[in-house]
Amino acid sequence: MEWLSLVLFVLVCIVLMSGYPVALVLAGTSLLFAGACALFGAFDTSLFNALPIRLFGIINNQTLLAVPLFVFMGLVLEKSKIAEDLLLSISSVFGRYKAGLGLSVILVGMLLAASTGIVGATVVTMGVLSLPAMLKQKYPTSLAAGTICATGTLGQIIPPSIALVLLGDVISSAYQQSQINMGIFSPETVSVGDLFVGAVIPGLILVACYAIYVCIVCWRSDTITTATKAIEADVNVSVWAALLPPLGLILIVLGSILLGFATPTEAAGVGAFGAILLALCKRKLNFEQLKTVSQSTVKISSMIFLILIGASIFSLVFRGLGGEELIHSLFENMPGGVVGATLVVMLVIFLLGFILDFIEITFVVVPIVAPVLLSMGIDPVWLGIMIALNLQTSFLTPPFGFALFYLRGVAPASVKTIDIYKGVMPFIGIQLFVLLLLALWPEIATWLPEQVY
Amino acid sequence: MNLYTKKINAASEWLGNAMGLFTLIMVLLMAAIVILRYGFDVGTVAMQEGVLYLHGAALLLGAGYTLKHDDHVRVDVFYRSVTARTQHLTNFIGHLFLLMPVVVFVFVMSFEYVLNSWDMMETSPEPGGLAFVYIQKSLLLLFCVCLFIQALAMMINDFVAFRQLSHKGAR
Amino acid sequence: GEKNTADTTQKTQQFKWKLVTSWPKNFPGLGLGPEKFAKYVNEMSGGRLTVKVYGAGEIVPALGVFEAVRNGTAQMGHSGAYYWKGKIPAAPFFSSIPFGMNAQELNAWIHHGEGLALWREVYKPFGLVPFAGGNTGTQMAGWFNKEVNSLADIQGLKMRIPGLAGDVFQRAGGVPVNLPGGELFTALQTGAIDATEWVGPYNDLAFGFHKAAKYYYTSAWHEPGSMLEFIVNEDALLALPADLQKIVEVAARAVNSDMLSEYTAENNKALQTLVNKHGVEIKQLPDDVLRQYKQLTDEVIADLIQNDPVSKKVYGSYLAFYEQARKYHEVSEQAYYRTRELKAN
Ligand code: NA
Ligand code: NA
Repeated sequence: MEWLSLVLFVLVCIVLMSGYPVALVLAGTSLLFAGACALFGAFDTSLFNALPIRLFGIINNQTLLAVPLFVFMGLVLEKSKIAEDLLLSISSVFGRYKAGLGLSVILVGMLLAASTGIVGATVVTMGVLSLPAMLKQKYPTSLAAGTICATGTLGQIIPPSIALVLLGDVISSAYQQSQINMGIFSPETVSVGDLFVGAVIPGLILVACYAIYVCIVCWRSDTITTATKAIEADVNVSVWAALLPPLGLILIVLGSILLGFATPTEAAGVGAFGAILLALCKRKLNFEQLKTVSQSTVKISSMIFLILIGASIFSLVFRGLGGEELIHSLFENMPGGVVGATLVVMLVIFLLGFILDFIEITFVVVPIVAPVLLSMGIDPVWLGIMIALNLQTSFLTPPFGFALFYLRGVAPASVKTIDIYKGVMPFIGIQLFVLLLLALWPEIATWLPEQVY
Repeated sequence: MNLYTKKINAASEWLGNAMGLFTLIMVLLMAAIVILRYGFDVGTVAMQEGVLYLHGAALLLGAGYTLKHDDHVRVDVFYRSVTARTQHLTNFIGHLFLLMPVVVFVFVMSFEYVLNSWDMMETSPEPGGLAFVYIQKSLLLLFCVCLFIQALAMMINDFVAFRQLSHKGAR
Repeated sequence: GEKNTADTTQKTQQFKWKLVTSWPKNFPGLGLGPEKFAKYVNEMSGGRLTVKVYGAGEIVPALGVFEAVRNGTAQMGHSGAYYWKGKIPAAPFFSSIPFGMNAQELNAWIHHGEGLALWREVYKPFGLVPFAGGNTGTQMAGWFNKEVNSLADIQGLKMRIPGLAGDVFQRAGGVPVNLPGGELFTALQTGAIDATEWVGPYNDLAFGFHKAAKYYYTSAWHEPGSMLEFIVNEDALLALPADLQKIVEVAARAVNSDMLSEYTAENNKALQTLVNKHGVEIKQLPDDVLRQYKQLTDEVIADLIQNDPVSKKVYGSYLAFYEQARKYHEVSEQAYYRTRELKAN
């Protein structure tokens, strides 16, 4: 009866097309379908009892607490025009180039990634801040949307990254086990820290590739304008004034993590608080604006979490229908050889990324496949970064690409969903290209950890 | 009917604003936690959990408010290009067959779970944590109620608008 | 679908159970316990009772195991009783309390004292039947980036330390920090926290804590021997024929003893790797700190049993058994530990 899980998936995709809110389509279709299957004994209804426990798990998750806080921070920066000034200041550095704004988005996005690692918050922040500015400068809608979505997913790979922490946790035990299975009784270890250090160079390569792509497209475009004189002049007057405070703020977030004042979750709160202070100092935040910011924070966070709730219900039903067994049997038919096995695993993770999110893949799929690959002698850091890069694409691949949802949630109506889909395609291509580089030259990931530790 | 939707909309608006205040308090409390802990070596798990409680309330109780403002994400490839009449119909059917069953079902499935927590007067397992886990869990039920009531108000609006647009189309 | 009729004569009836756990699937030690349990049960019952193990988060999150087994999401769970402190104040006595019994003593109290009967009695109102489900053995005090040479060093020390021990630590002037597991490593590495307790060398080495912290402190005053638990939904258990019920009990018992052996064997090896290969410095918490902890533990437990009659009853039995065991172990185990370290002439 495992094929029913595929039917559910197809059904959800069809109902999504109606345009009814995604979160409720995910939840409602899954529930009704599970109910129908239960009538024929094809669904174990006791799984429904897990619902309140799973939902409570979502609201009681400390890591996800960072989402509304980073959203709040982003909105304060937007309302007080601080982040816009930052973006424009950085873009003024590249002002005479058409790609200036795109590069600024990538640079600012990279800095956000280095401080947050929360894809939703980064995409929302950048979407709110830079999408209108890019459109004003006549960037093709798809390029603007794609750049923001892809830049947002950098948080996955640029440390500190929650994805790497979860992945490191799973891979370290898989690595130990695979060695024990191989008869090695004083096993080598791999840690989350190894993955953090290992991800630095691949992350920077990815940023460089994004930048090169945006440069090429902008350079060849006839429609994109450079920053207008007025904006340039305006910013040039107070370039340091505009640049330093927000950079300082990002340094507060990044620094408070690196210097150990706060965990990433707490740093989100510190960042939001810092943003309020900064805006107050610049006299650019009044009571009405603060009210608007907090109302928008509720709406955006509520939107994100309703999707998480919907996805949680969907994945419960998907698992209950034996979707997991279906995935299992796929892996059992893996062709021999390290290269073949790795290729199949990467392909399957990529494909699963269309329907599942990184947490589910990390906890469900990686523990199944990692011991198999590691037993073949593959380097765990390399495997971890490969998987992390691969999972990054799951945020961008329709229909369940969370970066796409987040941007859709804050993009103006003039941006069509199809533009967002089109826009991310080249960036998915770039990610796969970097994945290929990493496959050919594993040292990209493994060299730095060897130097540090 | 009209009075009902008006009252519900006003209530959702009020709740949304209150939750907005919660997010502001979250920010201030989180900053206070960090400053106290790293500046003054003072800290309690209770404060950390306080932020978590506010967070849960803002997300769940804000869901109806978000629905009212139509801020839940849609795949609008087709939705944006259809008539307002079809949009109202889509929303009416969606509320009736997707939203309503979900919130009613989640409410029913959560009821005993929440009740059990009240029964135990469940407290935090963490040292110095808050003793109101049962209130935090009750948010699940309130979430369902908020969404249900707001959806009902919107279905009335959708129904009325659909009828009006249909009549215009018929003329 | 599964049939839950209590037909004990029907030997061909098949039962399919779900077992939810608080650990990632196949997590060394803790996660291997339920896997072995499933294997034993499947084999011993000739496939009449099959158990499928789910890792944390697959069906319910790590700390949702209690409610999941209670409400019938799964028939069975594997976790640690101290996680349910917020629901059942007496629960920590069935896993580990500061300055409490070690694995050997706890096993004796559970299986040859009043422990198991009390445990069943405490879980009964929730429709749960508990079984001992393994033990990590004596743990380590934790990973520290600040040296602890005196009580003064505890003041303002930021440490992730859950449970009753966290209460003790707080009363001693420390700052307990609640962190999501995923942030633990970075928090320790960057200095967001000064210290954390985890399990023991076997799990700690795998997590890579030696790359994030300078000192590995010993004497696990906070968890002298943490017992894990299997919890079974009472209705599901009673629906099994008598022979299958026995298989569940015996398989749990086998896992309980096997996990301790696994931890002992693997901790030994892992400690050598940590010290010899990674140059980890093992340090002992000073006596005055431990003495203070001990006094505060008495206070914390006194408060606990004062407010909760169930805890009072359980602790009464626990303490009576513990005092006897200590007297005997003083002249047996403890004397021998000294004896075997004597230098030969
Ligand atoms: Na990051
Ligand atoms: Na996807």
